[in-house]
Amino acid sequence: MAINVLAVILFAIISQTIHHPTVQLILNILIMASLGLGLFFFFATSVGVLRFPDFFTRLHAAGKGDTLSTILILLACSLFSLKSAKTLDQTTILAAIKILLIINFIFIGSPTATHALIEAGYNSEIDPWENNATRN
Amino acid sequence: MINIFTWASILLIVLMLMLVYRIIVGPTVIDRIVAVNVIGTKSIVLIVLMGIIFDRLAMFVDIAIGYGLLNFIASLAAAKYFKKHHRIDSKNITATEHTAKGATNGH
Amino acid sequence: MLLGIETLLLILVLILAVVSLWIRDLMSSVVVFGAYSFLMCLIWTGMGAVDVAFTEAAVGAGVSTVFFVAVLFNTTRRIQFNPLDLSAKIFSAILCIGTGYLLMLGLSDLPSWGDPQALVNTNVSKYYIESAYKQTKVPNLVTAVLADYRAFDTMFETCVVFIAVLGIFMLLKKDGREPLKETSAKANDNLIIRVASRFMVPFIQLFGLYVVAHGHYSPGGGFQGGVILGASLILVAMAFNIEFVKQLLSIKRMLLLAVIGVIIFAGWGLVPVFLGQSFLDYSAWAALLPGTGEIMARSHSMLAVEIGVAITVMCGMYGIYMSLVSDGRFDKGL
Repeated sequence: MAINVLAVILFAIISQTIHHPTVQLILNILIMASLGLGLFFFFATSVGVLRFPDFFTRLHAAGKGDTLSTILILLACSLFSLKSAKTLDQTTILAAIKILLIINFIFIGSPTATHALIEAGYNSEIDPWENNATRN
Repeated sequence: MINIFTWASILLIVLMLMLVYRIIVGPTVIDRIVAVNVIGTKSIVLIVLMGIIFDRLAMFVDIAIGYGLLNFIASLAAAKYFKKHHRIDSKNITATEHTAKGATNGH
Repeated sequence: MLLGIETLLLILVLILAVVSLWIRDLMSSVVVFGAYSFLMCLIWTGMGAVDVAFTEAAVGAGVSTVFFVAVLFNTTRRIQFNPLDLSAKIFSAILCIGTGYLLMLGLSDLPSWGDPQALVNTNVSKYYIESAYKQTKVPNLVTAVLADYRAFDTMFETCVVFIAVLGIFMLLKKDGREPLKETSAKANDNLIIRVASRFMVPFIQLFGLYVVAHGHYSPGGGFQGGVILGASLILVAMAFNIEFVKQLLSIKRMLLLAVIGVIIFAGWGLVPVFLGQSFLDYSAWAALLPGTGEIMARSHSMLAVEIGVAITVMCGMYGIYMSLVSDGRFDKGL
């Protein structure tokens, strides 16, 4: 978590002090790339949950893609809130650090939920999907 | 650039609408739990996005922290439920319980 | 553009509400209801009702689904449905449709959303908006209204939570002499869940305390903080086992603390009566709290009252979960 806080402060200093257009463009591209990748991974998650044949494969899509896309979109939000602030005051930095805290909690909590669900499915009577077309 | 965040949140909601298909159709309960879990995580993201759109991020981020901390408790409870009740599929419940009853009556 | 987000969310909520009634399996219904609660929170956030959204977030994500699952854990998830007995269903359908029609008729008389000239917005809320900050120095109007201007309501709401936990506890309590239905499996053999909970629980409790104490300035307050604290205890009970969490907060102490919370609220309001003011008039506390004027006495009294609410709600959520999940025996659970 200390790394998060340091990263936020570093980004805040860079975005607020260096007004060179190239630097600002790079920061914008960073935010947009993070947001776009997050949306792409969430799209992949949705398609995976819809299209995969059985529970285990669906949870594979949901567990990984969901956590990663959440982390990426929240990162974009945090960086954008720092960059768009006119003056860098206490409230803005605190909000950005709080968003990074959410990332940490999701990073712990979401895989735990996925693990618990996988175990519940594994202990019950769900048959894993097998690709019979290639086997025969 | 706010506009982009608005479009992003609309895209998120549309993708959540796609997940609702899995909630409606999902052959077993646990498929539905997976879809609801994804919707729950995405509503955290939507709250933060709304905070940026409304320019009240410091206000909304507290709600998002609350969700981020508590989101996995419900999934954990639902998963632990299946430790005792091993049957996932609700359609087979009546059939198996009837056969079990018949077996005990027969003896 | 904002209309787009809210319209989409309302469509989602409607679909989920219908689906949660349509599904026959109760477990699925509970799960769909969880998603419904998430989206309701989003709609309230979009309307700017942050405190309501926070309550929905804490209750919906933390406890309500867990309570439903705990009930289903000890009962059945099948719906008893007799296809021949339709008379009650038809009667209630007629009743529901009739009531809905009358409500729809009344809908056209309601003021439009956010209308500043509406009757609600011109009388009492105008007074709160103009004078609450001057009289109490609390920036969050909702906290000021709930804990000061309408403290009478809030006190009885706290009592309702207390009565709910007492009722569930007394209805379900067994004296322990009955034999257990089946021997318990090793419920706490999962290392990953234990380690993750050990990591999360301190943060949840810290955040709960922050919500209670920071309710003057940000969304939150006693009820939300109490629910979050209760959810942390529920998490401990699920990740470890009930015996372990009973060492932390025993059932007897849970009931005692729930009483103490109500007593803190009512007692704090009763003190001004002895000082010659009316019940729950916090400005009289200025005589007892050194160095505070009447304004700051009201502000500090709100914090004290919120602490009382938080204690009662925390013990209430914990007690309801423990009663439901162990079927009143308090020996084993999820």
